[in-house]
Amino acid sequence: MDESTSFWFEFKKGFILENPLMVLMVGLCASLAISNKFENGIFMGIAVIFVLTFSNVIIASIRKAIPDEIRIPIFIVIIASFVTIVDLSMKAYFPAAYSRLGVWIPLIVVNCIILARAEGFAYTHPVKQALADGLGMGLGYTCVVLIMGFIRELLGTGKIVMFNKTVFSLGAYGRYAPSIFILFPGAFLTFACLMALLNRYKSRKIDE
Amino acid sequence: MRQLLLKLGITLLVVGSIAAAALGGTYVVTSKRIEKEDRAAAAKASVEAIPGLKSPSQLKEKPKLTATAKKAVPEVTKVFSTPKGDIIVIESRGFGGIMDNAIGISPDGKVIAVSNISNKETAGLGSKTLEPTFLDKFKGKTVKDKLQVGADVQAVTGATISSRAVTGQVKKALEAFKAISGGGGSK
Repeated sequence: MDESTSFWFEFKKGFILENPLMVLMVGLCASLAISNKFENGIFMGIAVIFVLTFSNVIIASIRKAIPDEIRIPIFIVIIASFVTIVDLSMKAYFPAAYSRLGVWIPLIVVNCIILARAEGFAYTHPVKQALADGLGMGLGYTCVVLIMGFIRELLGTGKIVMFNKTVFSLGAYGRYAPSIFILFPGAFLTFACLMALLNRYKSRKIDE
Repeated sequence: MRQLLLKLGITLLVVGSIAAAALGGTYVVTSKRIEKEDRAAAAKASVEAIPGLKSPSQLKEKPKLTATAKKAVPEVTKVFSTPKGDIIVIESRGFGGIMDNAIGISPDGKVIAVSNISNKETAGLGSKTLEPTFLDKFKGKTVKDKLQVGADVQAVTGATISSRAVTGQVKKALEAFKAISGGGGSK
């Protein structure tokens, strides 16, 4: 594989083939919790892409200098630093979104996706591939939380509200919207349905 | 062995120091803005507890009144005095965490409006108790009203705990108002 195809391959795999949420199933808790609103997905997605990409790049670039015995503490320090940077910046510049996402932003530190990519990929791959992996995994994560947020907010409240403006509404449905979709059971229901669809798609592909 | 430990220690030290420097830098850049944002948001929400007040600059905190109110009702965090009435800020637990509401009370002891400053209620459910459809029910209530969910306040369906919390805060604000206005209905 030459350099450019491998970059593209590492980038692409985060969407379907190795999607962190739907296939690897890491870091589910935060995504189930915050996907009750479409707008949350945007901010959470950006935060995850930022942390994942930067921690991947930094870890890949200093991987030869990291002693094997203490790699995990070093990963955590690096990841935690980027998470804190996101946390503080979001609090300063997007206070409304920050107050809604609440504790989930600082909890990105313990989000398994980040550490899994650091340990499983960035530590053993060159910078360029680690960058592609971080971006791809981050975007794959974002796509899933956005889709889930869209479905849950729409079914649970009958409309999509972004930045205090209703951008899409189902009209009269809103009055009868079952709020279960924006609560915890709705997260599991939506996630299970999405996963079933994806598995069906994948098994069909294999059959072909 | 000793050399290995030294090497590990130094590596950790270097990584830790770089991380600390980066974080320190970010903190310096963002801290002032965060503080400003917090204060602006709280002031903006407080002002809405008395419609007609235009800008947060019209709010003047009365430390003396706050102290008196706090003695009677520990949940009070701030008391503002305006020509149109007092604004009492109450902080207590809701369903998802701490919530702050500003309650505007006219000089004759009636609730003018309730405005939410911050909350962690479930979006779309508990948060409905902080929207005008629910908060407007408190307009005109006085300390003599029962203010109890199920009695004279109807809870938002599926958000009983949040409804109770908000109702309790209004009741507490009225009690605090009674304390600072000297027991009676008027000052």
